[in-house]
Amino acid sequence: MLKGVLEGSVLEIISRKETYGYEITRQLNALGFTDVVEGTVYTILIRLEKNKLVEITKKPSDIGPPRKFFAINDAGLAELQRFWEKWEFVSSKISELKEKRS
Amino acid sequence: MNFWEKITGSDMTKEFKAFESRAKKLPADYQAAWEEVKANLWTHSDFTGRNLMPILDGVLGLLEETAADGQGVEEVLGEDIKGFCSALAGEEGAKSYRDKWREQLNHNITKKLGK
Repeated sequence: MLKGVLEGSVLEIISRKETYGYEITRQLNALGFTDVVEGTVYTILIRLEKNKLVEITKKPSDIGPPRKFFAINDAGLAELQRFWEKWEFVSSKISELKEKRS
Repeated sequence: MNFWEKITGSDMTKEFKAFESRAKKLPADYQAAWEEVKANLWTHSDFTGRNLMPILDGVLGLLEETAADGQGVEEVLGEDIKGFCSALAGEEGAKSYRDKWREQLNHNITKKLGK
């Protein structure tokens, strides 16, 4: 379950501003997903790239090889909207289920 | 890639050597992780291993980037390198030998049943 949630979260983070793997990981860690490592984010980014939901630019960095930056595109925005709709549905149903517990 | 290279895989040998010389520049713990990634990815290889080349290139890029950031390799890949590899291969659509055998078995059974 977490996999789909993480993918949506990564897309949401990218939608706010063009960013790169390390920054995304740190943001997720700060949110409380402490066991998310850069490798996890990397596999998600590859998936987003393969499904053409993001645009990629390589920018030189002061240290080491050029960094890959990710920006959302129209297909990505549409996917993000679908994700939040699905999420609303799931989370409302789960809350409903929990409230029925007596 | 010309015909000769396709048959002998000599293009891959060249690419592979390039990978290895890049890997040698990584810190020691990263090199160990690289070896482990390779070992775990081979089960997802097709007949020639050509499907793994772009994946390996990507992983090496990730390792180079994060090593330059000064992160520990544990921080980057976590403890589950095997899981990381199968996630990678899965996203790239690479099938493992097991998938292929399964497909073949299913195919043969369908044929035997005359459907």
